[in-house]
Order: sequence, then structure tokens, then C-alpha cells
Amino acid sequence: MAATTTIKQINLNPGQRAERKLLVTVAEWQEPTLDGSTTGIETVRELLGTRTEDSSIEYNPDIQESTDILGNNYTDVNKTQPSQAFDPFLILGGSRLGAFLNDIRRRNALSELQQFTIYVITAFVGSEEDGYETEKHTDCSITYDSIGGDANVNFPITVHFSNKITTGSVDKIAANFEFTPDTTI
Amino acid sequence: MDKYQAVIDFLIQCPVIAENPLFFNFLDAKDNNKQIITQSNETSLNKKFIDGSVMKRFTFTIVDFRSVIYQPIPKVEGYTNENVEEIIDVQSIMDWVNAQADIENYPDFGNDCKIDSMRTTSENPNLNGVDTQITPALAKYSMSIQIDYIDTSKAIWK
Repeated sequence: MAATTTIKQINLNPGQRAERKLLVTVAEWQEPTLDGSTTGIETVRELLGTRTEDSSIEYNPDIQESTDILGNNYTDVNKTQPSQAFDPFLILGGSRLGAFLNDIRRRNALSELQQFTIYVITAFVGSEEDGYETEKHTDCSITYDSIGGDANVNFPITVHFSNKITTGSVDKIAANFEFTPDTTI
Repeated sequence: MDKYQAVIDFLIQCPVIAENPLFFNFLDAKDNNKQIITQSNETSLNKKFIDGSVMKRFTFTIVDFRSVIYQPIPKVEGYTNENVEEIIDVQSIMDWVNAQADIENYPDFGNDCKIDSMRTTSENPNLNGVDTQITPALAKYSMSIQIDYIDTSKAIWK
């Protein structure tokens, strides 16, 4: 079924290229508060891609192609399994995601890797007034691929998107953004 | 924060520099005078990150003039030569800079810049030349310092 609402247009001048920073991936998860309380749980958000020079969302489509007796080709997309690798993902002071994943790594608590909400903010669509178009993916996984490196400790990670998507918008590009789901008329 | 002033404010903490005249982009070749010389940095070497922040490099050179004497080295083990003592004193500036890097005491480049690393580009000072036409004769030593910093002024995440 085609989209029933007007497609928002890209907020750039004709021909202007979108800077890479306008495609933002943010991880959200819950963890105990840092104040030492044993019962407090807080939601934490962190921008992915600090010190990363190149990273893309790979959709990994599962494609089935066929050709009928007239020579027409048909391509069926059965599913996509999107993922996004961040390499390097350096261990940096102040990174709560780095600390969180490292804690999971040392306990080998693999099931805890599946608790992330990932926001993909396309800041080249929308505005500060109307909000920036965003996809909210729930129940995503973040896996660590290795740890080590040369001069600095690198802990490259891959985000595996769940495809449980809620479309909407965020009011700002900052950790305290508010996500508003799209309304269906 | 202006990076040039930040470098000056930082270097005057170094005892060897604090005790002697310091010049900025001005040559005054006299014994013990120090000079900061700015260098251009290739913007093509900047590393752009996907969040809009950029790794940049700030390089400058410190020139140190020292009197030297015509004094053959006696073939006596352990005998100190004044010229050797002078270069050891020049070396102490480099050692001080690297010691500050170890404890992450960096020049203050302001809120939008986070210094990633600071290092001298060589282990020991370079002798650029000796002017024997003046009295006392002067040796010109130099050392370059590289500061890599992340400029977050255009980062999208605030």
C-alpha cells in the first residue's frame, strides 16, 4: 500500500548535498543510575559514531529473482535485515554505552545485548519547528565484534535493527529529544 | 579561546621558558631567547567524523638560542661540556611538554575543542645552525610540537 500522507521533502537547497552528520543513529537503553542507588533505573541515550569516519546502514535484502517466459524479470524482496557497523568504536571516557557493553562483555551476558531501542534521525527531512523525521526501532541488538587495536582500545560494534519500526519525529538533535509518533488519520 | 594565546599561556608554565624572554613570530637572536613560530596545517589532513566533529592539527615550533663556545671535548670520561649542558637544557623544554601530555595538562583551546594528543615531533632538539659571526656565538635549536584536537563546533549532537 502506498503512503497515504504527503511525503516530506528534503530540507536542503536544490542540488545541495546532505552532510553525513544529518543521518543520526542514537542508542537508547536502561541501566542502573550512577548515583549508587540500588533501585534506580534510568534511560540513557548515546549518539553512535563518535570518532567514526564512515558508517552506513546496510539493509542486507533477501531478494528472489525470476523471469517469466516473455523475458520479464521479477524481483521479490522477501525481507531486509538492516545492520550498521561502527568501526572504530573507541573506548572513550564518559561513554556510558562503552561501559555498558564492556560490562556485558566481561560477564558474557549475551542476552542483555538485545535490549536496545535505536533511533535513526534523518535530519535532512524536517525542521526544528516541525521536528526531524525519525524511525524508532525497538528490541534491537548491539553486538561487539572485537576489542583491542593499536594505540587506543577499539571496541567495534554492530547495530542489528529489529524492523519493529515506529515512524515519528524528534524535536531536537540532543540526548534529551522527545520522540513523537506519527498520527494515522 | 584563541589557540595562539592558549599556547602562550601554556608554555609560560614551563620553567625554562618562564625564566627567559619569549617572543611570538619575531626573531631576536640573543642568548636564551625563545621564540614561538606558527606553522600552517594542511586542512586536507583533517579527519571528519560522521557526527560532524573534525580532528584537526595545530603545529608550532619553539626556537631556542643558546650561546656556544669553541671548546674541544677533553678525552676524559664524564667531563661535561658547556655546549652539551645547553642542549640538555633545551631538551628539558621538550621533556616538559611531553610530561604535560602524560598528565593531560594541555593548552585550553576552549569548549568546542577537546585536545586528543600533544607531542613533540622528535625526541631531541634540532640544531638549525651556529652563528659564529657574533659574540658570543649562538646556536639555534628548534623543536616542533603537534597538538591534535577534536573540533566539535559543527557537531550535530549537542
